[in-house]
Amino acid sequence: MRYRTLDRMFGRSGSAGSLPGLSLGWALLLTLTALTVNAQNTPAPDKEMDRVQAMISQAKKDAEQFSKSGGKPGDANDPNLKWSAALWEYREKHPGTPATVNATSEALRLLNRADRLSELQAKTDTLKPDEAAWKQVFYVLMSAAAKSKDYSYLISKAEALAQVASDRDIKAQARFNIGDAYWRTKDNDRARKAFQQVVTEYPGTKYAEEAEGNLREIEFLNLGQPAPVFERTTISGDSISLAGFRGKVLVLKFWGTY
Amino acid sequence: MGEVPLLKELYAKYLDQGVAVVGISLDEQLKPLQEMVASKGMSWPQIHDADQSLVKLFNVKGTPTYYLIDREGKIAAKDIPMKRLGSAIDDLLKK
Repeated sequence: MRYRTLDRMFGRSGSAGSLPGLSLGWALLLTLTALTVNAQNTPAPDKEMDRVQAMISQAKKDAEQFSKSGGKPGDANDPNLKWSAALWEYREKHPGTPATVNATSEALRLLNRADRLSELQAKTDTLKPDEAAWKQVFYVLMSAAAKSKDYSYLISKAEALAQVASDRDIKAQARFNIGDAYWRTKDNDRARKAFQQVVTEYPGTKYAEEAEGNLREIEFLNLGQPAPVFERTTISGDSISLAGFRGKVLVLKFWGTY
Repeated sequence: MGEVPLLKELYAKYLDQGVAVVGISLDEQLKPLQEMVASKGMSWPQIHDADQSLVKLFNVKGTPTYYLIDREGKIAAKDIPMKRLGSAIDDLLKK
């Protein structure tokens, strides 16, 4: 129910992570997680979190500078490589803290930015099945797969996690990612099967809700199929319906002022 | 948000060629939506999808998301980026 509440507060979060609500929702969730852990261990603000955040900000600045001066991703002097190594070193020195969750996912994200896919995979292979970092790492793996158009690593990793992880959320996310990866490669049969599994095995999670939407989309929202029928009132009080636009080309823009 | 001027341009260009635009806002509150529609001069109809029923119906995963629907009411394009919208509309108008 926490996800639903967050969704309602910040807008619906999508798997692609492109709704602004998602990052805000996650940020709050991470902050809350960090606060909870802090309250249990040390009452002081999380200096370690700040330290990791400072590294991440500096990495971003350096990468922008590098790119402006004509640097190519993955060059030996690509700052993303240096910062990725620094964040990974932090991870190894500080296992199991909230700051390390951020350091881990960011170290991998920077490797992806630098197009070092084999190194990204080798490091990902060292993560333990129930690490909190998986939630972010899946986004990195999906982005890397989309970039290289090769989803095989993501799928095999997610298959393994869906088996061995004990965290229900990680298992659900793993299964969801398998569905998404097959869908993107147009293997709709396998995509359908994976999404169906998410719906039946992880009811009540945001992944189940998204999987249900994707199952509907695979079935009913393909190009050439009739658009879903709707009838609504505009903010000016006019009644409009899909049928009323018959004979016209219609652009629907889903958007928000946020 | 940065796409509003482009959409305004597109709306004006195709207004007399049988192209309609409908905005579907995911905003929680009506007021910011009304204010922005007025301040940016968006003259196409707006639906306030506060209960996200249209978002669910079209399985929208993020904003902005564009759907293009042809004259027969069939889905012609989905998740299409703004920069390709104009040429996709041209293609449909030629049919």
